[in-house]
Amino acid sequence: MTGKRFKTIAFDGLLKNNPTLRLVLGTCPTLALSTAAFNGIGMGLAVTFILICSNVLISLLRKTIPNAVRIPAFVIIIATFVTIVRMVLDKFIPSLYDSMGVYLPLIVVNCIILGRAESFASKNKVLDSACDGLFTGLGFTCALTLIGAVREILGAGAIFGYTLWDFKIEFFTSSAGAFFVYGLAIAIFNAIYSKVENVRRSKTFDLRIMPKPDVSAPDNLDPEESEKAQASTTADVAAKEVK
Amino acid sequence: MTVKQFFKSQAFKCIIVLLVIALIAGGLLAILNDVLYVTDEERTMRAIEKVYGKEMQYEELSYSAEELTNDYGTISKVYLLENGNYMVQSTGGGGYKGGTITVWTVLAYKDGAFTGIEKVVLESYEKQTLMSKLTYEVYSAHNDEITGDVYFTTGSDGIKVVISGATYSTNALNNAVDCALYFARNTLSAKEA
Repeated sequence: MTGKRFKTIAFDGLLKNNPTLRLVLGTCPTLALSTAAFNGIGMGLAVTFILICSNVLISLLRKTIPNAVRIPAFVIIIATFVTIVRMVLDKFIPSLYDSMGVYLPLIVVNCIILGRAESFASKNKVLDSACDGLFTGLGFTCALTLIGAVREILGAGAIFGYTLWDFKIEFFTSSAGAFFVYGLAIAIFNAIYSKVENVRRSKTFDLRIMPKPDVSAPDNLDPEESEKAQASTTADVAAKEVK
Repeated sequence: MTVKQFFKSQAFKCIIVLLVIALIAGGLLAILNDVLYVTDEERTMRAIEKVYGKEMQYEELSYSAEELTNDYGTISKVYLLENGNYMVQSTGGGGYKGGTITVWTVLAYKDGAFTGIEKVVLESYEKQTLMSKLTYEVYSAHNDEITGDVYFTTGSDGIKVVISGATYSTNALNNAVDCALYFARNTLSAKEA
């Protein structure tokens, strides 16, 4: 995998196609588990692990699995990894396992994981698929942690369980608060992203249309000849465009 | 289609691929389940830690099926803790669409006399309504009112407790706590006396 390809996959997963803030996928766990930043990190990392593992395995088996049964095969693979994560969390981090509740087994039907398996892992090489899983998962984790942190600070006056102050607005811990913060996060993220993208596009556009200085032209060229030369160049370009 | 054609068909390949994937996944999960199995003792200790924030010695008590079942729900586990309190796991019905809620209730005893409910915690959020607003003090705040034959309710015919805003969920929760309370009044208190 080239460096450019790696950068594209990373940029896509984290920003351009961020599953939570750009594609609005995985909304159910986002709304339910973003009551605290720690829950967001826990859910995000669980999804990241499952994404990487399932993407790698699906990519390895992409030529073996017949097209007709690819979806059931993907679901079996994803369900296996989800069950492994459940067992590990139940054994070693029971508090996180309890706080994630029913949303942990529901990762099986998480559209982010099935979506990446179907659209990326089943068509790309193993390393590319692993990177895609990693960065898509990290994009999801960052978004969930950010939303969780905002809700925890405003709704419980705490961050990662540490109390900051007594001031709290209960609305932010409720379901309505979840929708409000989520909507706000999408709006802010997309506004910033569009602005940055517009600036980048305009820069690229400027570079494209700016005429390059003709270094081969002699300095003592007659102004009339210079005009003629410029006209002939423009005519050449127009002719090429017509062709 | 002949048998030979079937074995050469795409359908047969699909069946085999799915079967192999399912078998490998099943085998792997069976092994991991054996390795990562959480025992009942571990779960009990976790529940005690959830309630008290530390490990504590306990003794499991056994009762007859009649003693463990009442109008409010079913008691599944009873533990006598080293501080003299009882920790009871009870399941109350009456939730949304017949749903149930399972809780651990710590029944406080002093000199053999029932003094009230110390703490109530959800057994797990899994398979039951998400009720993040249930704190330790929701029920113990009413200890002064737990006298005679009064139980918790969402209506006006007892001690009114409404938690989540969803009456059905609170009904099941109240029933689970009432089940433990009934058990304390009718079985544990008789034993302590």
